[in-house]
Amino acid sequence: MNTKKGVILAFLIALGIVFQLIESFFPIVMVVPGYKIGIANIVSLFALYAYSPKDMVIVTTGRIFLASLLQGTLFSIAFLLSVSGGLLSMFAMILAYRSKIFSIYGVSVLGACFHNVGQVLAITYIYQQYFMQLFLPILLALSIVSGLCIALLTRQILLRMKGKLGLWKTSI
Amino acid sequence: MRKADKILIVSIMIACLVLIIPIMQNAPVSKEAVVQVKNKEVLRFSLLENANYAVDGTLGKVSIEVKDGAVRVKQENSPHHYCSKQGFVDSVNTPIVCLPNETVVRIEGQEDGEDVQIQ
Repeated sequence: MNTKKGVILAFLIALGIVFQLIESFFPIVMVVPGYKIGIANIVSLFALYAYSPKDMVIVTTGRIFLASLLQGTLFSIAFLLSVSGGLLSMFAMILAYRSKIFSIYGVSVLGACFHNVGQVLAITYIYQQYFMQLFLPILLALSIVSGLCIALLTRQILLRMKGKLGLWKTSI
Repeated sequence: MRKADKILIVSIMIACLVLIIPIMQNAPVSKEAVVQVKNKEVLRFSLLENANYAVDGTLGKVSIEVKDGAVRVKQENSPHHYCSKQGFVDSVNTPIVCLPNETVVRIEGQEDGEDVQIQ
């Protein structure tokens, strides 16, 4: 990792933190509790496609830890939900990216779905209750929408940034 | 958007629909009544269909009637007939007790609200 890349990754983490904080100020009040579009995922997806899965892990974990530190929710239940969803979603996204079957849309939708699955698993483990599982189908259906939105935005960013950060090998 | 992406999205949608089916089916809770004689379960029946049942109590036959999701003791042999005077019961919280016959009719299922409100 050279200095330029390190600085860019740090900027990506900072951008992700800002996205996450701004999103937490404007909760989309809907029928389903806990639903967010997850704009901060743009940063992770960008790091995955512009650099490599390793860099996405750095950016995502850094963002989750630092954003919850700034929000004051470090090691609280909200933080545990964020971590469990984030880890599972990273895992799914890396697998989908490595398989080279899916384009950026499929990778993003899979990540969004597994984020919800991870959160529901964490909630069932923490509260030992099954009420959140009732929301899982609705959350999954909504995650398709948010995943497609994030993929669309990230694709546009990647196309506009092409040639400025060095070329990436995989097709979008 | 490749073909694999479309297949993935459609399969997630199907998974949502499949997951929602068991939730929909679990919504109506079927109630069951249990009849105990001398602390032993002798009869268990659903409250969804109207029917008549009879069990052997200590002093003779206890006939039980199910009607419109409620249960009552129709006829029995006891000094005061408390349990048949109690009439129809449809709550989980109120059992029908016939002490001379050592018979208890109890509805099983999810508790529906509080049984008594004290103000």
